[in-house]
Amino acid sequence: MTTVLLGPQRFRLTAGAVLAEVAPDGVVATVTAGWRDREKHDAELDEVMGGRSHNLHLWHRLGHVLVNDHAFAAAAVAYNRAVDEANSLYSLRLTHALESVYATMRHTAREDLRDSALRAGLQSVRDIDAWYIWLVGELEQDLRTSGGMDSSEVVAQHRSEIREILDGAAALAIAGGHVGFLSRCLRLFDVTPPESMPVVGWSAGAMVLTEHIVLYHDKGLEGVQPAELWDRGLGRARGVVAMPHARRRMVLDDLDRNRVLAHRFAPARIVLLDDGSRLYLEGDGHLPDQARVIAADGTVTTLGEEMAMTNGAEGEHDRAAGRRRGPRR
Amino acid sequence: MRKLAINRLLERPVDEERARRFVARYGSPIIEGHRATFIWVGPADEVLLRHRVQGLPDPLTLRRVPHTDLWYVSVDMPPESRVEYQFEIVREGVRESYLNDPLNPRVAHGPFGASSVCAATGYEVPEWTLPDPESRPGELIEDGFQSKAMRRNKRFKVYVPARFVPLVQYPLLIVHDGDDYLDYASMKTVLDNLIHRGEIADLIAVFVPPGNRLVEYANHAPHARFIARELVPYLSERYPLLDVPRGRTLMGSSFGGIASFSTAVRYPDMFGSLLLQSASLVFTDIAFDHGGGAVFDPVVKFVNAYRARPRRVTDRIYQSCGMYEPLISPNRSMATVFREAGMEVLYREARDGHNWENWRDRLREALTWLYPGDQRFVYE
Repeated sequence: MTTVLLGPQRFRLTAGAVLAEVAPDGVVATVTAGWRDREKHDAELDEVMGGRSHNLHLWHRLGHVLVNDHAFAAAAVAYNRAVDEANSLYSLRLTHALESVYATMRHTAREDLRDSALRAGLQSVRDIDAWYIWLVGELEQDLRTSGGMDSSEVVAQHRSEIREILDGAAALAIAGGHVGFLSRCLRLFDVTPPESMPVVGWSAGAMVLTEHIVLYHDKGLEGVQPAELWDRGLGRARGVVAMPHARRRMVLDDLDRNRVLAHRFAPARIVLLDDGSRLYLEGDGHLPDQARVIAADGTVTTLGEEMAMTNGAEGEHDRAAGRRRGPRR
Repeated sequence: MRKLAINRLLERPVDEERARRFVARYGSPIIEGHRATFIWVGPADEVLLRHRVQGLPDPLTLRRVPHTDLWYVSVDMPPESRVEYQFEIVREGVRESYLNDPLNPRVAHGPFGASSVCAATGYEVPEWTLPDPESRPGELIEDGFQSKAMRRNKRFKVYVPARFVPLVQYPLLIVHDGDDYLDYASMKTVLDNLIHRGEIADLIAVFVPPGNRLVEYANHAPHARFIARELVPYLSERYPLLDVPRGRTLMGSSFGGIASFSTAVRYPDMFGSLLLQSASLVFTDIAFDHGGGAVFDPVVKFVNAYRARPRRVTDRIYQSCGMYEPLISPNRSMATVFREAGMEVLYREARDGHNWENWRDRLREALTWLYPGDQRFVYE
């Protein structure tokens, strides 16, 4: 199973070269649903793919479904509203829980007592994250069963066409854009590439390949906001929280915040995808050593450097105890 | 620190020729660090500067440079300030008022005409208030109906975003003094730009002009009924609106702020947010001598009653006020009252006055807070 996560493509175009490497021949199925109404403006992308792209046009298919299946459209509207409400409740709980964690970090107290309070606070945050993912999962289940997502004939027709395109494709390429629409379209049309098919995603396209999609924008108009879970991803890249545009969107020199982020999503790794990032996840799904990550102490480093430091610190003790280092977390 | 230009001029005798060169070089006002020097040139017996800035004497009397027709006054002007002003001239017993500064091309427009603008160091017209050819324009649709509550035909304009899709549910922004927000606060341009850039969510806005503003906006039951029981249902039948309180915002400035707030008080839990700009939240702590004249009586009565029994009437309030306007004190006080009543308040002050460009300049922060766009979702 070959999965490649790429950084933003606007200034450093690497997708074409990567696809030529992982799938030298054949059709490349492409997804540009994140571009929304500009989905079909993909001539440049096709050129990058060497003229062998076949766009799945998920955004336009979504429009077709909503116009032609009124029952599903009504259910989708209700689902969207419910997700919005769930999201606002989640934001409310999360903001307070994170404020409590940061306040605990700033509080002066005996170290072991403060650490205990911090662990408990972080667990509350993780519980809120887990609750939200469960909640949106339940809402999606309702949409599948009662809302007709899995029984709509219109949806089924599109799914069948998409499967046919994928069956004839050598690789799947997922472009960035609006990660919300992108993930919804992928799920609605059940875009599940076979394990043997190389998949390349960049920016939002990389985010949807992971297990959980995390939204963040520290440099927006509202100032630093908590990173929030949005939804499940395709789960093709395991143990990874993909954060494209890290330098542009994140305040990376706030070590306390970074530490919370790293511990909050552990054992998954916070992987920063900036311009030029190119991460190959082969068979076992392990991240390569050059992956830029936020380490447990809040610093930004590469996975290789972090492992070396950890091994250096503990190696002597391990050697004395005759132990081997365990698997990467 | 370098002397002010006017003081450098006065170091040596000034004749008409030197005065002319000075004016040609500097114009008016002259902004130097924290100071602004206003200049008037012309024959006069007295020249006054009218500005309505709380904290500065109003009017400011200009001094004449001996043996010339050059008049000047220098005042403190903190960075990022923006002040609207006019001159008043007395000559041979005749007083001329509301004169804009002929040396200053910068003017602001409002329902009572144009005023000259003094923009201090650091103030710039926000680029998002200017037309952007990249932004896809939304549509303004004229509409109206016969209002039973108001007993007259009410006309309004509905803003529909460029990417309008009937299957999406949109939040509704109800804008008091709607025409003025469009004409003097560039609100359609602002909406087009912010929506295009993904800074705010796609939304539907209704721009409602008043009839007899000072009556209708001063805690007027028929007006509140018109908004809550007629306008919202009317629009809900015609547009896919988010049918929950958080999908509805009432907005207004000055008396329009009172119209928004009092409507929310009369119909609690119907509107999820308020956007109040320099709201006329005048109150008294003892007796009723509020100094605002008879038109303020119902406003003060309403605000006093609310302060006596504050309660939560909405979820969120964006509240702003100019530091230089007399309403700053009541607004500061009410922000605390709103918070203590259990509402989430984002309160902002600007170095500006009671005018449309102040309200225009706050729109981005207000709207992005109330209806954040999908920037956090977009990773190109």
